[in-house]
Amino acid sequence: MSQKPFLLAAEGLTRSFDGFKAINDLNFYLDEGELRTVIGPNGAGKTTFLDLITGRTRPDEGTLLWDDGKHDLLKLNEYEIYRLGIGRKFQTPTVYNDHTVTENLVLSLAGLRGIWHSLFGKITPQQKDRIAEILGIIKLTDHANRKAGILAHGQKQWLEIGMLLAQEARLLLVDEPAAGMTDEETYRTGELLLSLAGKHTIVVIEHDMTFVRQISQGRKVTVLHQGHVLCEGPVDKVQSDERVIEVYLGRKSKAA
Amino acid sequence: MATSMHKLSARNSKNRLWLVLLIGCMLASLDTVKAQERTVRETVAAAAAASTPGEQREIILTLKAKPSPEAVKWLEKWKEGGIFLQKGEGDLVTPVLLTGDADRDGGYATLRVSDNSPLLGSDGKAIRINPKEVEFADTDSGLRRAMKEVSDLAALANPDTVKRIRAIQDSAIGQKQEKLPSLLLLKSIEKDPGALHALDEAIAIIQLRSPVVAERIGACTKLGEMSSIPASDTIKTILTEAVAAKDTATIIAAKKALIAIDAHISRINAVGTAFRGLSLGSVLLVVAIGLAITFGLMGIINMAHGELIAVGAYTTYVIQNIFATGLKLSPLGFSISIPGMGLSGSGLAMYFAVAIPASFIIAALVGVLLERSVIQFLYKRPLESLLATWGISLVLQQILKFIFGSNNVQVTSPAWLSGNWTVNDIVFGWNRVFVISFAVLIIVITWLVLNKTSLGLLIRAVMQNRNMAACMGIRTERVNTMTFAFGCGLAGLAGAFLSQIGNVGPQMGQLYIVDSFMTVVVGGVGNIMGTVISALGIGVADQTLQQYLGNPVIGKILVLGAIILFLQWRPAGLFVTRSRSLD
Amino acid sequence: MSNQPITSRVQLPSLILSAVFLVILMPLLNSFGLISDFTLGNWGKYLCYGILAISIDLLWGYTGLLCLGQALFFTLGGYMMGMHLMRVIGGAGVPTFLSMVGRTEWPSFFGPFSSFPFAIAMVILVPGLIAAIFGYLAFRSRIKGVYFSILTQALTYGAALLFFRNELLMGGNNGFTDFRTLLGFSLREMSTKRGLYIATAVLLVAVVAACKWLTNSRFGLIQRAIRDSENRVLFSGYATANFKLFIFVISAIIASLAGALFVPQVGIINPSEMETGKSLEAVVWVALGGRGTIVGPIAGAISVNVLKSWASSGATADFWPLMLGGAFVLVVLFMPKGIMGIPEQLQGLLKGIGRKKENTKDLSPSPILSDESDLLSSGSTPTGES
Repeated sequence: MSQKPFLLAAEGLTRSFDGFKAINDLNFYLDEGELRTVIGPNGAGKTTFLDLITGRTRPDEGTLLWDDGKHDLLKLNEYEIYRLGIGRKFQTPTVYNDHTVTENLVLSLAGLRGIWHSLFGKITPQQKDRIAEILGIIKLTDHANRKAGILAHGQKQWLEIGMLLAQEARLLLVDEPAAGMTDEETYRTGELLLSLAGKHTIVVIEHDMTFVRQISQGRKVTVLHQGHVLCEGPVDKVQSDERVIEVYLGRKSKAA
Repeated sequence: MATSMHKLSARNSKNRLWLVLLIGCMLASLDTVKAQERTVRETVAAAAAASTPGEQREIILTLKAKPSPEAVKWLEKWKEGGIFLQKGEGDLVTPVLLTGDADRDGGYATLRVSDNSPLLGSDGKAIRINPKEVEFADTDSGLRRAMKEVSDLAALANPDTVKRIRAIQDSAIGQKQEKLPSLLLLKSIEKDPGALHALDEAIAIIQLRSPVVAERIGACTKLGEMSSIPASDTIKTILTEAVAAKDTATIIAAKKALIAIDAHISRINAVGTAFRGLSLGSVLLVVAIGLAITFGLMGIINMAHGELIAVGAYTTYVIQNIFATGLKLSPLGFSISIPGMGLSGSGLAMYFAVAIPASFIIAALVGVLLERSVIQFLYKRPLESLLATWGISLVLQQILKFIFGSNNVQVTSPAWLSGNWTVNDIVFGWNRVFVISFAVLIIVITWLVLNKTSLGLLIRAVMQNRNMAACMGIRTERVNTMTFAFGCGLAGLAGAFLSQIGNVGPQMGQLYIVDSFMTVVVGGVGNIMGTVISALGIGVADQTLQQYLGNPVIGKILVLGAIILFLQWRPAGLFVTRSRSLD
Repeated sequence: MSNQPITSRVQLPSLILSAVFLVILMPLLNSFGLISDFTLGNWGKYLCYGILAISIDLLWGYTGLLCLGQALFFTLGGYMMGMHLMRVIGGAGVPTFLSMVGRTEWPSFFGPFSSFPFAIAMVILVPGLIAAIFGYLAFRSRIKGVYFSILTQALTYGAALLFFRNELLMGGNNGFTDFRTLLGFSLREMSTKRGLYIATAVLLVAVVAACKWLTNSRFGLIQRAIRDSENRVLFSGYATANFKLFIFVISAIIASLAGALFVPQVGIINPSEMETGKSLEAVVWVALGGRGTIVGPIAGAISVNVLKSWASSGATADFWPLMLGGAFVLVVLFMPKGIMGIPEQLQGLLKGIGRKKENTKDLSPSPILSDESDLLSSGSTPTGES
């Protein structure tokens, strides 16, 4: 394993639903600044793994440590985990439909999260500039005052990524960002994620192998199968691994 | 159990005759054998005619030789002043009964007490007597005491086992030592185990007051072994006396006995509480099971659930009246008359058998109407289903008021519901037994429908995944309607059931609505078994708290508080329906 | 916020006009005899109900918490004020509700209630504290949606059972009545009644202003975000339980203040005010007026109650429950945004008709029935018109 201090370390994670082991003795280490892609067939436990990291579900067994062991994520709840700098984009776009695009970003801005601040805190000019900048990055400047609910599917996906940016998260967990997007949009999403790599640590869960090739670029790819890490390595190596071909690529699907 | 008791009493009645005779002979040997050949009537007549109270008493006491119900009947008549004394020539007095209707002068026909023949005047004509003009046979306290001795003895010899046991138990009251001989005598010939137990207890209780110390101690020990509750007070008195007299042996015996009795009492209370809790839980279960379907399985917050219960109860009311003399209703000034079948007795009693399916069907039809008109639009808006159904409940209540009036209506429940069954000092009321059986019946019906019918299969499929079921060609709309109607039908059944044990009125449903929701929430939404266990649990908890606090309202409030705390521990109820899809 | 909805700017002048009308003009017209004392008294009641309706809307319309216990907080405020009013009646001995249960002296907890400031403090503290404890327990264990409604209903039910008992020494089912004075003014005097009316109107205006400010702050954004997708807010780093608890306590206090002003105006408080139906009735006002708006609930409360005092006496009395219940069903089915949503609905309807002419295949869900909640509006929304 890497000698560098790790950002996230999962060891022996197990989570079962009614006897079905969605995550089974999973070991996963992530370094600061990595852009890691996680692939695996349906039901491999990818989304459950994100649920475990973000505190949405709790494991039956195992440990989950953050920032070189400084924090035990299993002892924290959702918003505390978020406040450590772990942001998540959900599989189906989850934005506040009844709020405007700007309001969505305002709600995600890094900063104090208390009641007092929400009542009396003012939005600083720097924050306003940051929002404008993010709107530019996610190409929604023209839609700033429209309700998020009426955006197109792809735009919602981008808005959600924008919300992660506003949060200034250290770790971005991105669940199937290309789902439901056109090839053009998918490509631009890939570019966006690549431009963020380095500044943020990113974990991308994806089905679309073209997209995976675009963003991994020789970086490490993790293959999950039946809740367990099947193999790790660059995309070419992974794609030629016989076990992977058997369980995943052998019945490759682009289904969202 | 019931059949074996029946057999026992049948066998005993065969032995009854010689038992009575035996008592008679043996008691007679104690008394003067003066009038063996007299019949009861003749004895009573002789006593009534006797000149002095002492003589009267003596004659009456001879009846102890034949302690028959007939004698009791005559003595009652005497005490009521029903025996009149027609004075003849000299000291001749003839006790007579008056019979028939009064004539113009207020006279009645007469019958001799001694032989039931009419009293004839010197002219050979029947004498008519005006009760205001003649004396009636009076009683004084001594005579009444004698009469009571006779009737007590008659009660002890009563062929009816239940009545005999009660007489035995009564005889112990007051611990009169003079009652011991007849009880001991009865014990020597009694066969019925229940009566024997009662005899032992009564004898021991009387012996508690025996002048012989050893006998008192023996009685204490015996009563302790029998865990006799009626003896408790007397033993306490004896204990106080013994402490004052520093009578160590009696103190020990009395204390031991009291400990045993107290243990028995708390056992009875525990079983009694559990039983009452079980029956309350069954009521909760019956009223909540329909909600467990509509709310638990379908997610519809049906605030009109209580009114569907009322619909079932009123259906029972209507059916009962159809079986009897019919029903006149005047909704909004229209007059509707429903003819009755004029049945009575066991024919009328059959109405409940019709009312059960009828209340299910009527409530289910109302459910279909509601589902099609309102609820089908609210499947994805649970909070709004709560509000809309509350509006419906207001409307239904008002409709019921229009049809049946705002007051409670009378639904008669079968007489046997007020009876009870006592085992080992624990009283099992038939109404509670009925409640529990009904709950079991409903659970079985629900389970069968959900698990053994194709409708049940469809219901479970649609409730688990509406979209998937629709994709597989299931007509989910129809299944929704059927499921909702089934839940409403169960509410109707609950109404038929509640009409037997509570009031029937337009607002009756409101009493149960909060309880029903709590039961389903605690049980875990979507889980029928959870509802069953939570209903029984809440019922037992409620009764236990009542037992300790002695106050039903505070008990109920505490239960509500406990439920809120319980949901801290298990926010999703007892049984969580786990799935990967949250929200 | 910089991007306030335009509508609220248009509304502002008319809001100020209404405030002036309610607070100044109505009592003035009354003192000139143009509005009868009876009418002014009724409007005092309606405005209390209006405040109660806002408190429900803050929870339901803005935060998605349908609380069926607001009648409890309203009544508790009323009881706190009632205790003060009973205490200042004066005279020898104790009132009947105490002598009835064998008390010859005031129970000790009544003592400090002879002070008006203490009573007001209790009006705020008691419901606030109960809401805080209950809310803490409920939100900590993430009880939400219908479960929250059912539990608040159970809380109210339990409290009503308690207050119906004479042993609580709060007057049992008769409650408190026969009040004489408030702060030394006779409650029978019209000037006192007018004063109470003005106090109610001022409180209403203050509550409206506070709610406007609250819902337009970033807190308001979070509030509505919790309503629409609580999990998302949790995953945006907000401790949603705290936010919900805060607004729950605030709205309990608002309801309690309304109750405290209600009692001296109607002259009686008893536990029937906290029966479960009362909370639901107040929810009807909010639903009818339009939840998620500030003005809607007040309009709903006033219009339903004006209608009620007209319809619930005389020949139509028996039909009132039918009207109320029926109206409620219709509002839920066809007007989810209430009176306030009618213009929007009409617009949508017109647009829908226009679009249908252009392209019959366009089946985008009409805005009439689409719910704000992303959880609830997924899938096709059945409409009455299809």
